[in-house]
Amino acid sequence: MQRSSRRKFLVSLLGSLGAAAVGIATYPVFKYLAPSRSDERGGRITIPRAQVGVGQAHFFQFQGHPAVVLQRSPGVFIALSAICTHLGCIVKWVSEKGEFLCPCHAGRFSSDGKVLSGPPPRPLPSIPVAISGENLLIG
Amino acid sequence: MTGTGAAQRTYRYLQLIFFLVTLIARVDPAAAQTAETVCIQCHGSQPGRLGAPVREWQTSIHAANGISCHNCHGGDPTDVAMAMSPERGFLGVPNERAIPGFCGRCHVGVQEDYLASAHGRALGKGGPQCVTCHGNHAVLNASPDLINPKDCSRCHDYGRAGEIKSAVLETDRRITELERQLLSLRHIGIATREMEGELFALRNRFHRLFHSVDVEKVRSQTAGFQTELGKISGRIAEVEAKLNRRKLWGGAMVVLLVGCGILSLLIYRSYREEIDRSQHP
Amino acid sequence: MGLGRKIGDYLDLRLGIRDILEQNLTRYLLPRNINAWYTLGAVLFTLFALQFATGILLLVYYNPTADEAFRSIQRIMNEVPYGWLIRTVHAVGANIIILALLMHMLSVLFMGSYKAPRELTWVAGFLLLLLSLGMCLTGYLLPWSQLSFWATTVATSSSGEIPLVGDVVLRFLRGGAMVGQPTLGRFFALHVMGFPLIFGLLVLIHLFCVRRVGISRPPFGPEWHPAEPPVTFHHEEHPDGIPFFPHYVAKDGATIAFFLALLLAVVFFAPGLFFPPASFEPADPFTTPRGIKPEWYFLWAYQTLKIFPNEFLGLAVQGIALILLLLLPFLDRSPERRPARRPLFVSVYFFGIALFIALSVWGHYS
Repeated sequence: MQRSSRRKFLVSLLGSLGAAAVGIATYPVFKYLAPSRSDERGGRITIPRAQVGVGQAHFFQFQGHPAVVLQRSPGVFIALSAICTHLGCIVKWVSEKGEFLCPCHAGRFSSDGKVLSGPPPRPLPSIPVAISGENLLIG
Repeated sequence: MTGTGAAQRTYRYLQLIFFLVTLIARVDPAAAQTAETVCIQCHGSQPGRLGAPVREWQTSIHAANGISCHNCHGGDPTDVAMAMSPERGFLGVPNERAIPGFCGRCHVGVQEDYLASAHGRALGKGGPQCVTCHGNHAVLNASPDLINPKDCSRCHDYGRAGEIKSAVLETDRRITELERQLLSLRHIGIATREMEGELFALRNRFHRLFHSVDVEKVRSQTAGFQTELGKISGRIAEVEAKLNRRKLWGGAMVVLLVGCGILSLLIYRSYREEIDRSQHP
Repeated sequence: MGLGRKIGDYLDLRLGIRDILEQNLTRYLLPRNINAWYTLGAVLFTLFALQFATGILLLVYYNPTADEAFRSIQRIMNEVPYGWLIRTVHAVGANIIILALLMHMLSVLFMGSYKAPRELTWVAGFLLLLLSLGMCLTGYLLPWSQLSFWATTVATSSSGEIPLVGDVVLRFLRGGAMVGQPTLGRFFALHVMGFPLIFGLLVLIHLFCVRRVGISRPPFGPEWHPAEPPVTFHHEEHPDGIPFFPHYVAKDGATIAFFLALLLAVVFFAPGLFFPPASFEPADPFTTPRGIKPEWYFLWAYQTLKIFPNEFLGLAVQGIALILLLLLPFLDRSPERRPARRPLFVSVYFFGIALFIALSVWGHYS
């Protein structure tokens, strides 16, 4: 009789520990599958057109990463990541040459982000830009 | 992360206790070799002056990062006959005045600050160029050790050089320490690429700074570098705090499972005793 | 109690479910001296179920293209909530499974449980082991890291040494001359569909064999004697044994819990144990990283190939060893199962284990 009550206790203890373990294990799976909220945060950025002259570049933070927007010719804008694809330095805009230069190992990118020379393995990723009145919508 | 050493020891230990007789696998170490350029094929086997650069280069930071002969000297690394033809852009050995431009094709920032410095202005008039301090083919990852009484006093007394060294030492040590931390985070799957990039850019700007050999300039800008380093190290601390929270939960889960195991064993034993008693009263 | 009982009654009336449960749980008796090694089957079942579950979860975010695979794994590890947990459990789980498989096989060998009438159980089990290794090999490529790329390049390359057909086999394995998108495509298909389907079928056969023939009695204790070779089908009964439920299930549960604790301990406290640094660099076909070594369970084979002067010879030796093991129950036909009375077998057994460890350690340090 004593043994069976001891066993009942053990079984109920195991049951509750097991339920706790299953409960803890379910939470990560739920979070893993839950739709991400970062999409809704969007992170579109508005920049006044006037800040970006023709042939000029404007550097800004886009979703926490350095980026650059450029007016290649009047009314034509392009936005790119400003992180060099080689080792992660920030590219500089050389307006006399109309190209980007990475100061770390002299990687050169064209004004639309293509690699012209140097060690970068990939072009600079581009970011969508839209014109809305006097503003640029980036992202 | 002291876990790496322990993990390796555990790995070896696991190998010792894991056993078996047979499985499948086909592995050929010889197949995994990179193609050698014709430069290395020819010069690598040559004795003396013509072969030495290959052996020196093999120990260098350039070799470690895949920068080969033709990346600096030009020429065609795929064609034996035309390898050293000026038509294919072969440059050969630069003369002393041309060395900063030679290295500066990649190291643009350093070149700029160097040329503006007292060192750079004395180029060709007995002043040092890149190779004087960094060596040529056996070039190593730059470190403040390059500033030392022995090398600096080849041309002038060590006083000002020593001041620059003590000004950069602390920042350089912090950069190296952060690099090490980021690497160990990367090795457990944390995305550190962006932080590594920032740190690399910072290191690069810092290194070009002291090529100006201007103590005042180095001192006045050090605070700015320290602030930026502080930001990166704050982010690393956040990651590590997150890892520690994970360990806490993981530890609790392990304890919970071990508890379940022990309880199951106790339950098994109670059934077992019951059956043994009923059969041997 | 009320609702459970009602559902039970409903099912019992239509499917006779209580009878099935009794026959397979409470009235299913196991040998009284059954030991902890017998729980490894249940452990493996649980671990494989965990692999299936985590594998399906990984498929939600994984992208099987050469351009995207590495980045998708990086996202899983860093951006998706708890992705790091799912992925690390899947990767570490594979290693724990191999460990458990080896222990399972070694215990069966030591106790001679593979002998007649259980040859088919052994063959199915051995094929399961090979298939598991196949899943490890194909799964290894999917993250498209430097390690994935070069380990797969190295692992597939020696098949090119097979005389006459080597080149064809190599190109067929890789889907081209080099490891690339075609390789990723076929390895992915095999890893997530092909192998698991065959695996499931083999598990059913393996379990059917186990249940149909009956659990073998551990060959220990004074009362064990070799049985006469069977002439007709005979289900091995253990009338004085212990019930599967609740007795043995409690013991199974204990080992399962300990194995899961081991798995999580590695996941949380030594997450880098099975991940060399090259597993976090994206694949680069133009740079061979230094010191690419296969996983610990392939090291013995890696070293064997290095010992033999001719690669084909090395492959042949490995193939022969595997075939000998697969066919072991048909070669070793004596009914004796007590280790103390099988000195030759036991010496070969321990020699084999020592050889495996020695080759692995040698391979690791060479």
